[in-house]
Amino acid sequence: MRSLHAALRRLLHAVLLGLVGAGIVHIIVLLLVPEFSERDAWSRLSMASDLYRMNRLDAEAGGAPVVKSVDPLFYATACRFDLEEGMVRIKAPGNVPFWSVSVYDRNGHNVYSFNDHTATDGKLDAVVLTPAQMIDVRKDLPENLQGAIFVEAPIDEGIFVIRSFVPDESWKPIVSRFLDQSSCELQDF
Amino acid sequence: MLKNAFLMLLSLAIAIGGGGASVWYALKIQDGVGAIRIGQWTAFPDIGTPAADPYSKARVAREGVLALGRAEGLSFVAENDAAGDQLKRECTYRIEGGFPTARFWTLYAADQSLGVVETGKSRLAALQSYEVLRQPDNSVIISVGHHPMPGNWLLTDGSGRMYFVLTFYDTPIASSTGLSDVSLPRIVRAGCDA
Repeated sequence: MRSLHAALRRLLHAVLLGLVGAGIVHIIVLLLVPEFSERDAWSRLSMASDLYRMNRLDAEAGGAPVVKSVDPLFYATACRFDLEEGMVRIKAPGNVPFWSVSVYDRNGHNVYSFNDHTATDGKLDAVVLTPAQMIDVRKDLPENLQGAIFVEAPIDEGIFVIRSFVPDESWKPIVSRFLDQSSCELQDF
Repeated sequence: MLKNAFLMLLSLAIAIGGGGASVWYALKIQDGVGAIRIGQWTAFPDIGTPAADPYSKARVAREGVLALGRAEGLSFVAENDAAGDQLKRECTYRIEGGFPTARFWTLYAADQSLGVVETGKSRLAALQSYEVLRQPDNSVIISVGHHPMPGNWLLTDGSGRMYFVLTFYDTPIASSTGLSDVSLPRIVRAGCDA
């Protein structure tokens, strides 16, 4: 009887220890998922194309979308950049009903976003750069950058996404062209 | 000795198995940490921002989401109707009421992965605010179902669970101070095919 009692106590002890351990493992796994995920947006995009390459996120361009762009009434395109190599300039010509832009860091967190109301005459012309590069640019602003929107982001690697609204069928080619003609380039300075 | 080894293995199994499974479960359920509920609609205003909680961050990394920024818009997802029943693709629904201020909004019927429902036709299972007919008081009534309906009609098809995704673009409610007094349309079940 006594030995059964002791065995049960030790079993209970082991189970409790296991539950405490489960809590610790839960926290560790949770914090490690973002570090080791190979399915995050950056990894998916890097399998599809190089740095500074625009990559359509909607299925319209053919093939399954690389990163799920959820809204079916939107087209989107993305490019990856590395600010350690220099600042990056994104431009897109033409007028569409609505566009919006987001800058993400390496982990896919949205660090900055703006839409066409922010830009002068609705033209998409933006430069992403680090605060240190911004100080250099401020000293002597080049002529060709004067109309651009400057996005100061304290990151090195990042993703730039342009989303554009497709109100109906007739807008599809126009919005498609807007995104396909967008460019994502390392800007010399 | 053998008994000790068994107990140790049991503890380890509970720790590793339980810890891993609980993370997996927490990331799988729709209604996670950081959710804001308005009626039947759920939004995650903080998802994809550096200020998000660890669960949202893990979900973003696992699913490869690129969440909408504050200046872009805010998405709401509904999985139940006003009576609290799960939304079904074979049923017809009425979505009615006022919509908060935004430059425009889009509404679409989604499957489990929140991708748009395949209709098998050229008409998308999606509507947007520029094309809807409004009531005299500026509210909107949308009929959802497989069969054509007068007024605003959102086409769906197939069977199984369905979600509605309502996204407001360029809207003041995306800054969380505006979220407290927002009211969203009601989802009422009108009938089922069978």
